[in-house]
Amino acid sequence: MAIGKSIPVVDSVAKVTGTIPYGINMKLPNMLFAKILHSPLPHAKIVSIDTSAAEELPGVVAILTGKDLGQPNGPQKLITGFIKDRPVIALDRVRYIGEPVAVVAAESEKIAEEALYMIDVDYEDLPAIYETKASMQPDAPILNEAFPDNCYRHAKLRHGDIEAGFAAADAIIEEVYTSPAAQHVTLEPHVNAAQWKDGRLTVWSGSQSPHRVRGSLAALLGIEKDRVRVIVPPLGGGYGGKGHVRLQPLIAAIAWKVGGRPVKLTLTRSEEFVNVTKHAVTITIKSGVKKDGTFTARQVTLHWNGGAYADSSASLVGSGMVRAVGPYRIPHVWVDSYGYYTNLPPSGPFRGAMSSQTTWAYESHMDTIAHRLGMDPLKLRLKNLLVSGDEFATSEILHDIHFVECLKTCADNLGWERPLDRSGESETVKRGRGLGVMMKSTIPTSQSECRLKVDTQGQLSFYTSTVEMGQGAHTALAQIAAEAMEVPFETVTTIGPDTDRTPFDTTTSAARSTGMMGMAIFNGAEILKQKLIEAAVPLLEHPAEELSVKDGHVIVTAKPEQRMSYAEVVGRNNLESLEALGAFETKGGLDPETGQGLSTPHWHQGAGACEVEVDTETGKFTILRYQSASFAGRVVNPQLVRLQNDGNVIFGLGPAVLEEIVFDEGQIINPNLSDYMIPSFLDIPHQLNGEALESDVGEIHGIGEMTLPPVAPAIANAIYDAVGIRIRDLPITAEKVLRAMNNE
Amino acid sequence: MNNEQLTKITLQVNGIEHEISASPEVTLLDTLRDELGLVGAREGCGIGMCGACTVLVDGRTISSCLMLAVQAEGHEITTVEGLSKGEKLHPVQQSYIDHAAFQCAYCTPGFILSTVALLEEEPNPDDETIRKYLAGNLCRCGSYMNIMEAVQHCREASIS
Repeated sequence: MAIGKSIPVVDSVAKVTGTIPYGINMKLPNMLFAKILHSPLPHAKIVSIDTSAAEELPGVVAILTGKDLGQPNGPQKLITGFIKDRPVIALDRVRYIGEPVAVVAAESEKIAEEALYMIDVDYEDLPAIYETKASMQPDAPILNEAFPDNCYRHAKLRHGDIEAGFAAADAIIEEVYTSPAAQHVTLEPHVNAAQWKDGRLTVWSGSQSPHRVRGSLAALLGIEKDRVRVIVPPLGGGYGGKGHVRLQPLIAAIAWKVGGRPVKLTLTRSEEFVNVTKHAVTITIKSGVKKDGTFTARQVTLHWNGGAYADSSASLVGSGMVRAVGPYRIPHVWVDSYGYYTNLPPSGPFRGAMSSQTTWAYESHMDTIAHRLGMDPLKLRLKNLLVSGDEFATSEILHDIHFVECLKTCADNLGWERPLDRSGESETVKRGRGLGVMMKSTIPTSQSECRLKVDTQGQLSFYTSTVEMGQGAHTALAQIAAEAMEVPFETVTTIGPDTDRTPFDTTTSAARSTGMMGMAIFNGAEILKQKLIEAAVPLLEHPAEELSVKDGHVIVTAKPEQRMSYAEVVGRNNLESLEALGAFETKGGLDPETGQGLSTPHWHQGAGACEVEVDTETGKFTILRYQSASFAGRVVNPQLVRLQNDGNVIFGLGPAVLEEIVFDEGQIINPNLSDYMIPSFLDIPHQLNGEALESDVGEIHGIGEMTLPPVAPAIANAIYDAVGIRIRDLPITAEKVLRAMNNE
Repeated sequence: MNNEQLTKITLQVNGIEHEISASPEVTLLDTLRDELGLVGAREGCGIGMCGACTVLVDGRTISSCLMLAVQAEGHEITTVEGLSKGEKLHPVQQSYIDHAAFQCAYCTPGFILSTVALLEEEPNPDDETIRKYLAGNLCRCGSYMNIMEAVQHCREASIS
């Protein structure tokens, strides 16, 4: 049994010896290097672009600008997305500082960079907007004429009778929470390369979604999908930032202009900050409660700042709506989730997408309600947490729900029921405890396919478009493949992603891969085992009904000693291999007017609890202990689950207490790891424990995000418990804590 | 290239001498990666903050993105490729595998080299010393707990 074992990841040796073939290492024969000229203005008309001097520079091979787009048999102007609004490269207007205006392909990065300085762009300033509050003003500049109010998506959830719900409440509590833009800071930046050869486009991309990239590029170029090949090397981190189409159209377009030679584009750290950010958001949350802590109603209004282009935000704003409600029994729910344009870099999913923002609001809000009612924050939650069989605000009936167990595990391990240990306290040092729990949908409609192949050497090849980005997917999935085919783990080889060889998969994100691709493997294995049985009929001289599969052999069920290995079955049929395609899909969706329907195949569930110490003289706080729990269903690899649980908490600490992209008139003033700090060894709690809760029913759940969203509210709630001040704007910093204490 | 001045330098990397022509402004990191094909050191931030480009110069950790190749002449440079002997991994590398002390592993060679340098300087470091010593290496995936266990194991096993 390969499932359930902490098998070291398959590329362990390459990882510790430094030989793992990241995209950043990639060298292709005759390769050119690309560099981007970025817009220096947040909103401006492009009057003219003069590339003539740069084109004369020896070593410059091609320069692409908006003028090259939209020709017959060439790349279109706009990238296909949920809303088709983002140009491959700026056309006649720039909408954020950092937007690509020209791209140079040259013999070296240095020459390409030098050429950028020789491109002359004449701009005409336009008024710009940076916050959603400004976007919604009637006289605001319009960023996309198709949406004159700058709002490209209004997702609505209408459940029950919201007015009656508030009328029935003993208390109505309303608060506003904000969460700023942040950056994923994958240590490996976005790397893309492309080559046009023999009428085909090949793209090497550090992407979490190879088939999504292929589809988008085929649409961009007006060619059949099979003329586009997307190959994904191992990624040095993804965290959602590499999930949607970003620079692949740009690299495909410059490669098209170059014609023949491959072109590679590697972003610098500062370019990463303008490439994609976490959505900033303002969340107004209002709850009606009875004196005993029973909820009567909840209304949530979210204004997402998606930056200058809607592309993936148009979909994510809808996900954010579902994820804004929280895991509680609330009879009347009303959510308005708005996506707004601003003159900032475009936003995309950020690990725990939209949930880390919404959980910040609803879990901080829960503590405010508890304190208003004079209830213990844990008791208020336990009284209201959803359980299996309950109806959610989308009207779907919940199954496999374990919020109570997740939260109780954290509370128990922290010692919530015991009085707080105040031995470390003094006049100026106070301690407190806090907790949080989260509920996140995954993608409602998605599809995973894989190919399984057994050969005459007894090797099992597993072809998958699931991307390996450090989460260990290729190891965990190989474990599932080994178990499903009843062969030793060591005989499994994982191949992909390469869209020419590996079948369709929607994306490696939203913690969907182990569950979805895992099901595709089980389904494919059933087909392959049946093929092996049928192939063994003449060899074992028994009808198929009398044969079965065990330990890598086809056996005569009644006489198990009469058996033949898969390899022999294949070989004696004079075949090189036998293979099968496995597939799994889920379908769902919500009514656009009411948000009622099916929002997810299953719910991601996680919780956290912590103890903090606050220095009341400086506002500095230390997280002394942190306990997390996620619902993991059936655990495939305990060590990988632990890395995800702990990694989520540590990753989550960044936006909780450190990270914020700071803009000045649309210009990022901290686009580097000196001014934008991510968690180091000195920022993490000395005591950090995580638990993965398992289920007897054995459904495999993803665990890539579950323990992240509770981090920020658990810390803020603990700070409130310690010093009685409520922080409502992320990140929670010593300065904000001190200022709030001084204002008390 | 525009009449760039190239200097002939000799670099001592992992016990091997390399004669190369380097421009005076090229970093040690780019030289290791582009000229010598040693890709274990990687750029993460380009300003010496993340530690992904860590190499050892005369046994001490430095950010190779901040050192010029010409400055490295006459010094003994060790990269992660110099730790294993053929198929045999350095015990610190083995400990990182045994404790699953990485996820995407972009930062791993830097962490491993910093661990090697730490244990050389202080064979019996307490946990606080480990945290402080490794604070110059960033792991965005957040594998710090496992990294700590890998280093603690090296300490208990007296690996240096």
